[in-house]
Amino acid sequence: MITSRTEEELYDAAASLRAMGAKVKAITGDINDPNHRTRLLQETNLMGGVSLLVNNASDLGETPRPELARASLDRFRQTLETNLVSPLALIQQALPQLQQSHGLVINITSDAGEAGYERWGIYGSSKAGLDLVSKTLAAELKPLGISVVAVDPGDMRTQMHQEAFPDEDISDRPLPEVTLPFWAWLIHQDPRTVSGIRYEAQGALWEIPA
Amino acid sequence: MKREELSFERPTELFASQPPEMRGQSRDEVRLMVTWPEGNNSHHVFTDLPTLLKQGDLLVVNESATLPASLPATSQLGNIRLNLSTRFSDNLWIAEPRWSVSRPGPLPLEEGETLQIGDATAKLLKSYPGIPRLWLTQFSIPATSLMAKYGEPIHYSYAPVYPMEAYQTLFSIFPGSAEMPSAARPITSRVHNTLVAQGIGITGLTLHTGVSSLEIEDEIVEHQALYPETFHVPAATANAVNATRARGGRVVAVGTTVVRALETAWNGSMVRACAGSTSLYVHPGTGVHVVDGLLTGLHDPVTSHLAMLSTLMSIDHVRKAYAEAVEHRYLWHEFGDSHLIWKQQVESN
Repeated sequence: MITSRTEEELYDAAASLRAMGAKVKAITGDINDPNHRTRLLQETNLMGGVSLLVNNASDLGETPRPELARASLDRFRQTLETNLVSPLALIQQALPQLQQSHGLVINITSDAGEAGYERWGIYGSSKAGLDLVSKTLAAELKPLGISVVAVDPGDMRTQMHQEAFPDEDISDRPLPEVTLPFWAWLIHQDPRTVSGIRYEAQGALWEIPA
Repeated sequence: MKREELSFERPTELFASQPPEMRGQSRDEVRLMVTWPEGNNSHHVFTDLPTLLKQGDLLVVNESATLPASLPATSQLGNIRLNLSTRFSDNLWIAEPRWSVSRPGPLPLEEGETLQIGDATAKLLKSYPGIPRLWLTQFSIPATSLMAKYGEPIHYSYAPVYPMEAYQTLFSIFPGSAEMPSAARPITSRVHNTLVAQGIGITGLTLHTGVSSLEIEDEIVEHQALYPETFHVPAATANAVNATRARGGRVVAVGTTVVRALETAWNGSMVRACAGSTSLYVHPGTGVHVVDGLLTGLHDPVTSHLAMLSTLMSIDHVRKAYAEAVEHRYLWHEFGDSHLIWKQQVESN
């Protein structure tokens, strides 16, 4: 199951996954919409239940990125809704299916959540919050056999990265496929072993407890 | 660092095509060049190693054992060879399709193409980002059963294939390496006993090696993409290394794999117990922090191994040592001679 707000890109992604031999259902919608979340999980239930939930949808916030002192608070609330509240909402709703499968939740995070870069405070604080949600959930959901990790994919040549740096040539950043080996590695680890860890997909070390 | 700085000439007749035990010698009778902190070199036999170390020094060895990781495969291009490099799961590996033992890739293979190995299949999912000759490869059955049935040790054009024992060392305990971590190969029981009797410590870690790197392709050495290797630095090993450093003993890595693992486990002030997968690239820009010496073989030109060596000594001294090795007719590769390098106080560059 894949979902996004934009139909064309979603269907392109579904088509390329099917070409690889995957069975894919693609449903457009906004993850902030509770009815959309409910529908997604009804569908996954029919497909046999969720064993891996990847919260990737994110909102960069106002562009150009403002300093916190001048940031729109309404827009800030909106960013927190998309990046922090809705991922948790989806996890909450998916718990019965994840418990059944002893599944893994992957929350996509960012170095902006740790660094305190100027003019990254809106997006960064939403990701810092998501990191703590990931870590806390890992502890809280352990008795249910559900595992949670946070993954910072690193700088990549994506639409959001271009929007974050509107006047820059970002062609020196690697394409998202640079993270493929990491995903291949991660999904083959025992989820219970890696739960609670925050990974950097482009980092030199993918650690498991020694 | 520019790639041509790691370039040097060495005649192909200096490639060791036979293990010493098949040349009528013992494993520990290979030669040993020592490069001293001042950059000068001296020439020894490997059995001299205990006399070159002091009580309180610590050797760190790699306890990974070698797999029969080279498989015959059939593709649309005909019969090829598939060398397994790095395990992600029983059925998913990074692997290197080659034309043959002697002829490397990259082959003109398509994403999604399926290779046949006996009754099993290997699907090429995606070429490795930045390293097009390697593929993420999905096997229809666990690769270990394919290796048991069809595998032989990875070997290249300069040497025929030998029985599996030729690719194991005294310390090979945990199977997982695509290629022999060969630095410890000359350490025989008698050398080991002498070291221990002299109060020289020996401790182990595990790093499962992948297929050997080809030449660095990027003009800037530090930009070369490296693939990950699975490793484990146990707490007891981390403690032994830290204790040795604290009392002023010297830590000697036996092999470049040990340097990679220890540097990965370095937290800025000490080595910690650590496991997982490391892509750490040790080069002059990163430096080395943990080891005072490296016991290794002789490496090919323009490789990441040489970039690592030049963190221990200046690139001029690397070149000088290698020129002397050629002059003294040292033998290269896994069955060849040894090189002990003591770390110099190199200006960071």
